[in-house]
Amino acid sequence: MVPVMRASLFITCYNDTLFPETGRAVVRLLERLGVDLDFKSKQTCCGQMHANTGFRGEAFSQAKRLVRLYQDAETVVVPSSSCVAMMRDQYPGLIEEMGNEDLRKQFAALLPRVYELSEFLIDRLGVEDVGAYFPHRVTYHASCHGVRALHLGDRPYRLLAKVRGLDQAPLANTDRCCGFGGTFSVKNAEVSSAMLAVKLQDVMATGAEYCTALDNSCLMHLGGAMHRQYAGMKTIHMAQILASTETEPAEACA
Amino acid sequence: MSHAATDRPELDPRLAAPFPEAAAQTLRNPQLRKNVAHAIDVIQGKRGRLVAEKTDWQDLRAAGSAIRTHVLENLGFYLELFEERCTAAGGQVHWAADAEEARRIILDLLRQENASEVIKIKTMTSAEIQLNPFLEANGIKAYETDLAEIILQLGDGEPSHIVVPALHVNRSQVREIFARRMGLEHLSDDPKALTNAARMYLRQKFLTIPTAISGANFLIAETGSVAVVESEGNGRMCLTLPHAMITLAGIEKVLPRYQDLEVMLQVLARSATGERMNPYTSLWTGVTPGDGPQRFHVVLLDNGRSKILAKPKERQTLKCIRCAACMNACPVYRQTGGHAYGSVYPGPIGAILTPQLMEMHHAQTLPFASSLCGACYEVCPVKINIPEVLLDLRAEAVNQERKQGVRFFDPMYLGLRIANLLFSRAWIFHTAQFFGRIGAKLVTRKDGWIHSMPSVGGKWTQTRDLRGLPNQTFHEWWAARGSEPGKEAK
Amino acid sequence: MSSPVPSRQRILGAIHTATESVAKGAAQRAEAYAELPRTYTRQGKMNAEARIALMIERLREYDAEVVESTPEDLSAAIASQLAASGKHTFVAPAGLPAEWLATGFNWKMDRDLANAEIEQVEGVVTASFCGVAESGTIVLHHSAAEGRRVLSLLPDWHLCILRASQVVETLPEYFDRCPGPPKLVTWISGPSATADIEMTRIKGVHGPRFLHVILVRDQSAQPTVN
Repeated sequence: MVPVMRASLFITCYNDTLFPETGRAVVRLLERLGVDLDFKSKQTCCGQMHANTGFRGEAFSQAKRLVRLYQDAETVVVPSSSCVAMMRDQYPGLIEEMGNEDLRKQFAALLPRVYELSEFLIDRLGVEDVGAYFPHRVTYHASCHGVRALHLGDRPYRLLAKVRGLDQAPLANTDRCCGFGGTFSVKNAEVSSAMLAVKLQDVMATGAEYCTALDNSCLMHLGGAMHRQYAGMKTIHMAQILASTETEPAEACA
Repeated sequence: MSHAATDRPELDPRLAAPFPEAAAQTLRNPQLRKNVAHAIDVIQGKRGRLVAEKTDWQDLRAAGSAIRTHVLENLGFYLELFEERCTAAGGQVHWAADAEEARRIILDLLRQENASEVIKIKTMTSAEIQLNPFLEANGIKAYETDLAEIILQLGDGEPSHIVVPALHVNRSQVREIFARRMGLEHLSDDPKALTNAARMYLRQKFLTIPTAISGANFLIAETGSVAVVESEGNGRMCLTLPHAMITLAGIEKVLPRYQDLEVMLQVLARSATGERMNPYTSLWTGVTPGDGPQRFHVVLLDNGRSKILAKPKERQTLKCIRCAACMNACPVYRQTGGHAYGSVYPGPIGAILTPQLMEMHHAQTLPFASSLCGACYEVCPVKINIPEVLLDLRAEAVNQERKQGVRFFDPMYLGLRIANLLFSRAWIFHTAQFFGRIGAKLVTRKDGWIHSMPSVGGKWTQTRDLRGLPNQTFHEWWAARGSEPGKEAK
Repeated sequence: MSSPVPSRQRILGAIHTATESVAKGAAQRAEAYAELPRTYTRQGKMNAEARIALMIERLREYDAEVVESTPEDLSAAIASQLAASGKHTFVAPAGLPAEWLATGFNWKMDRDLANAEIEQVEGVVTASFCGVAESGTIVLHHSAAEGRRVLSLLPDWHLCILRASQVVETLPEYFDRCPGPPKLVTWISGPSATADIEMTRIKGVHGPRFLHVILVRDQSAQPTVN
């Protein structure tokens, strides 16, 4: 069978370490859709953590490494809005400041080929119905990077709407930050926790079984509190919902 | 340095506690959080409706941003033009390089007027230079006339918001303050009664105190005019009835032409209070014989602004028109209130303005007081990219600390330097993951989750669990998968 | 403590250095200003009838009282408003049209009245320069018929005469109407208010608590039902 297209998966450092099941789901999902997926073993991190904490030199070295690594990739798929936002919003400045002309050219050529997962599905593959089955009540948490940096709009909702058996519970105050914010979650742990408490109220009020998002960063934060509080709700990355079918239901998750 | 809930909040950035510490205090005050959330939700609701109704809102933002950028890029010209026109119209323009000089100039002018009292229109700039305590120490009593400012002045409180400074105070707290300080034992806590009490309290002051101090929302270069935007009418009282008027304004407040107000007034009211237009806006030019103060002074304040102007990326900080839309939209501010920022300029704009006015010698924790959600940038009527400036200031703060070598052994700094090493080579990263997995087992409980971690990690586990590290990373799974049949496309 | 170099020079010097690479010469600056993006709405789209109706609606949202009148009936309308107010002493700007000074009331003409005298007066009647319908704003340029600023500030009751021909839809249209930038302006959008206590909007802090407007139909359109 002729593959629809070739794509290279950038799993992201934290998914690789903490949420490999999300990566497995992306692979299952994209291969089911006929994508010829490859994975560059040399990948590590996009540099966001360092950039956001003021370590720009270090962030640049990681950015440089990533740009060079993916030079020859036809498309790059990333199951994390914040990492894509990093590349779109911060790489230009870092590379302008510390990179050379070659790197600038390479980056300019690469950027249009980088997609967040929902962008890849809808914009690149042109599909909304990915053949998924996930018979649960689910609420979608819109991460700030997804909303404001990537302007994902209604893409996630359209994907969820086509999942068989899934009951979407709308979340109130979707434009309000959950309080993760990367290192903010520990540098300002108290404020982060206060914001989390407020967000959790809205999430729990949906009565959903699962809270999903396109970013495991937010889900780690929300799910961590849910687990601590025996809240009775779980988190799951949307890739895992979309990969889930009748014959291969989503792997056990948080 | 910690402050009990009853202590007067410290808004001098040189003395204030670091943000995480200050915030941890205010977060423990449910009444404060309730008051703040209520106020914000009201303004946000009103703003949202009006912005939705204004079909050219984004065009106004674009124009607002462009006008302000243009002024800042040509600030010298426009300030000199303002000075020339204002002087020609009978005003006197003074230049203050810093807060101390501004205080001195104002004191000298008040002494010229033989003023022992002065009435004030709310101006955050005067709080920035700590004017009132200085005047008090020099025998001049400054009476705030803005309702929120009276609440704070009489209640020995501090502003927590730049447009609604007393939003952290509820009606029963206001009642208590007024009853005590105005001697009105039987005062009810109905806002109408409270407002009426303020009206009576101030009336005589307006009619008898001959000297006033104001700020400026805008200075118009073309005409040498000053514009003040308000709701209550105390501004009009102060700029109409007295004999002498002193206007204190940051040098960045200039607009090129009178007509530019057509953009600014439309975005300011909607952003600040969720109204199409605030009740009263006044504009005056120098001195008008027979109408208003016959002696008029403008004190132009630098106090660090020209330094911000010099940095191309940070220059946009000075576009600010003090509407407070950013703090109304900010999820951090909503929980902490303004006092946690330790500055008269709180919220997102405060997080970038305050440290810069302090030339990064103080308030270095403010740029980190943000989850970078971007809500502020989204609502800013003049399109200040606050997240971008926050990130730059974070880098500045870190560079400063690294140069000083003060944080070499700080766990977070160490961790970040180590992480950078890990990310530089895949094999180092993978090795670290391997050993990390083993180490994590030490703190992973039977349920497969980590409930407690040492050091920086402990900040996470204060309120959240963390799922234990899976036995296999994604890349290990991929490598093991190799050329399995499942790899073929279906 | 005092620097040998005056602060003015220091500050302008610092600004000059700070903006050296971006500040423009006169011609370029004027060009840059002229080219600033102004894609926002400048001209309104409403016809006169809709515009007036909107102005009245917005004024009433602010709890200003609005009545309409024809030019012929204006004096009578004024007298009627004054009578309905229950007040007796009014101050009039020096240039207020004589036919507006309804009989049966105690008029103080403003010939440089002292503030203390104006404080004793119960109401004021003024003309106006413009009305902006979108925001329900009345603009005073404090001409002879509009009066010094203190006149529309101290009395508790303000009757403002606004002609239909003076009403524009958008704020930019007001600016287009100004022959040149005015020296003194007061924009009034409803009686004074505060929301400083728990965001509860309370009207009438300082400034007139009662704003009445007579909308004079000096254009051909028919008056609407009040």
